[in-house]
Amino acid sequence: MGFVIVLCVFLICAIATLANSIDRTILTIYGYTKYFTYILPQRVTLKVPDSEVEIVRRDPRTDRVMEAGFFFTNINTIIGRLPFVVLGLTKDNREYLLERIGTEIVEGRLPAEGMPEAVLSEPIAKNKGVKVGDTISGPTDEGGISGSPVPVKLVGIVKGPVWLALTTKSFTDSTFLTMPKSVIFTTKVPEELLDLNQELMPSENKAGGKLSPQKVQLLSRQNLVKELRDSLSAMYLIMTVVNFTVIFVIALMSGMLSNIYFTQRLPEFAILAAIGYQRGRLIARVIAETFLLSLIGWGIGAVVSYVFLTYFKFAIFDNKGLMIDPLDPFAYKFTIPIPLFITLFAVATIAWRLLRFDPVTIIERR
Amino acid sequence: MTTAPLSRQQSNTPTTPLGEGEGDPLACANVSLAYTDGERTTYALRNITLDLPHGKFYGIMGPSGSGKSSLLYILSGLKMPTEGSARFGDFIYNRRRATEVAELRRTRFGFVFQQPFLLPYLTALENVVVAAPQPDTMAHDKAVQLLQEMGLGGMEHKYPAQLSGGEKQRVSVVRAMMNDPDIIFADEPTAALDHTNGRRVVDALAKWRRQGTIVVVTHDPEMLTDAEAIVYLRDGELVEIGDSPAR
Repeated sequence: MGFVIVLCVFLICAIATLANSIDRTILTIYGYTKYFTYILPQRVTLKVPDSEVEIVRRDPRTDRVMEAGFFFTNINTIIGRLPFVVLGLTKDNREYLLERIGTEIVEGRLPAEGMPEAVLSEPIAKNKGVKVGDTISGPTDEGGISGSPVPVKLVGIVKGPVWLALTTKSFTDSTFLTMPKSVIFTTKVPEELLDLNQELMPSENKAGGKLSPQKVQLLSRQNLVKELRDSLSAMYLIMTVVNFTVIFVIALMSGMLSNIYFTQRLPEFAILAAIGYQRGRLIARVIAETFLLSLIGWGIGAVVSYVFLTYFKFAIFDNKGLMIDPLDPFAYKFTIPIPLFITLFAVATIAWRLLRFDPVTIIERR
Repeated sequence: MTTAPLSRQQSNTPTTPLGEGEGDPLACANVSLAYTDGERTTYALRNITLDLPHGKFYGIMGPSGSGKSSLLYILSGLKMPTEGSARFGDFIYNRRRATEVAELRRTRFGFVFQQPFLLPYLTALENVVVAAPQPDTMAHDKAVQLLQEMGLGGMEHKYPAQLSGGEKQRVSVVRAMMNDPDIIFADEPTAALDHTNGRRVVDALAKWRRQGTIVVVTHDPEMLTDAEAIVYLRDGELVEIGDSPAR
């Protein structure tokens, strides 16, 4: 029975970890939205209208508003190659943003003004399998969106808490003539960014904020999370149903195994009942034993899950751009019902038998 | 409903003068035990009345199917009669809750069955301590002493699988003595043993009889050479109460 519990915990934990990794991957890739928010013009113009920029600039919580060009570089994800934005900023804004996010250059140098050069965060370089000197975007890119009409060279690697790709504004301005210009903004207190986003354009009611949705789009963290959760909600529902079905089936199976196990031990309970042990004490013993077994099974299952998921992470998923966390609390929480259900089911059936059994018939049968 | 206390320390109920024993007597009155299968009713015991004064060695004999074991189970509170009543002193089993009867068995009775029924995952010593009212250090020391007296010294830490059939049964006898019972009930305790081992078990019980009552079910007259009274049953009915074959 213990082995069944171990396998069940591993199965549930692996499913939940993998499912949650999609959410984790997207939020990691777009982790920079914790530090700044994009405003993009609606498709009728290439530039964010000044009136909208002024609304943001005037807010006392705003720290800096920066105009930014951009292009894309493809990154590998579980759902194929996806474009990751390479921000074109002025030198001053670039330095400000790096400092603000706590990111520093660890290899190479920052891109030179006007040149087709960029820096990438370490995990992006690893994800793309590129090193300083390699091309990160160009007209011959495979899959995804073609990033740049000219080859862009990786000249430096930066390291910080979030994924970031930067180039110079002079390069994006001179090269990506038909691409819209975005505006990004930060707040004086980073924790206030979400509140400001919400006031500018609420994720639940885009027309209810200070910015006009007819003129601009706000790429905020809230929007990202909402879109992500909405698109994954069906998958999470399926996963929850699958998990609880598996738990139910395994609880039934374990209950039956437990019954067989305790049937083999009936002479033991018979002799204890005969010499005067109360039925309640025998049932308490069964509860304690079953729960302990379930708990140990859960513990071993959790360790097995961690070991295998760690192996999968490094051997398979990291290279595929899927961020799995072998210690994902969400996944382990999903396994908590396993020992509880199994104990409950096993104990209920065995207790029922113990309350009704006659020790003499078992002693005589021998 | 009578409320005779269970524990020996609390017992101050007057003892019915049924014999020369000083402790609580064991008795049953008009006891029948019937099994119903559909419309057919089979009597394992029929209208048995017995008074067994404290401190004696009783045998229950009779051919197979005569109801020997059933009578022992009723006298010990392991089974309830379908008619009549059984009691220990003023404690009438079928007027008490099952938990109270279980407590009586735990505190004042000892049991030896045909099979030793030792718990396979416990050592001989632990199997004995299982029957102690409190499994503390004193119980542990007492169990060691009893095992040594039973000739099982050095085997305290062996598991049942490492013991012979005779050794296992002697461990079960020690377990029956562990709670200082008033009565030891033994149901065919030597039936699964060879003569030598059977004799050892009989000797152990005979040695203990000075401390209380022994009720032994057996089909082996040799086992009852020391018995002071033998209850003979046939087809569930009491035939006679006689002396030991050796007397």
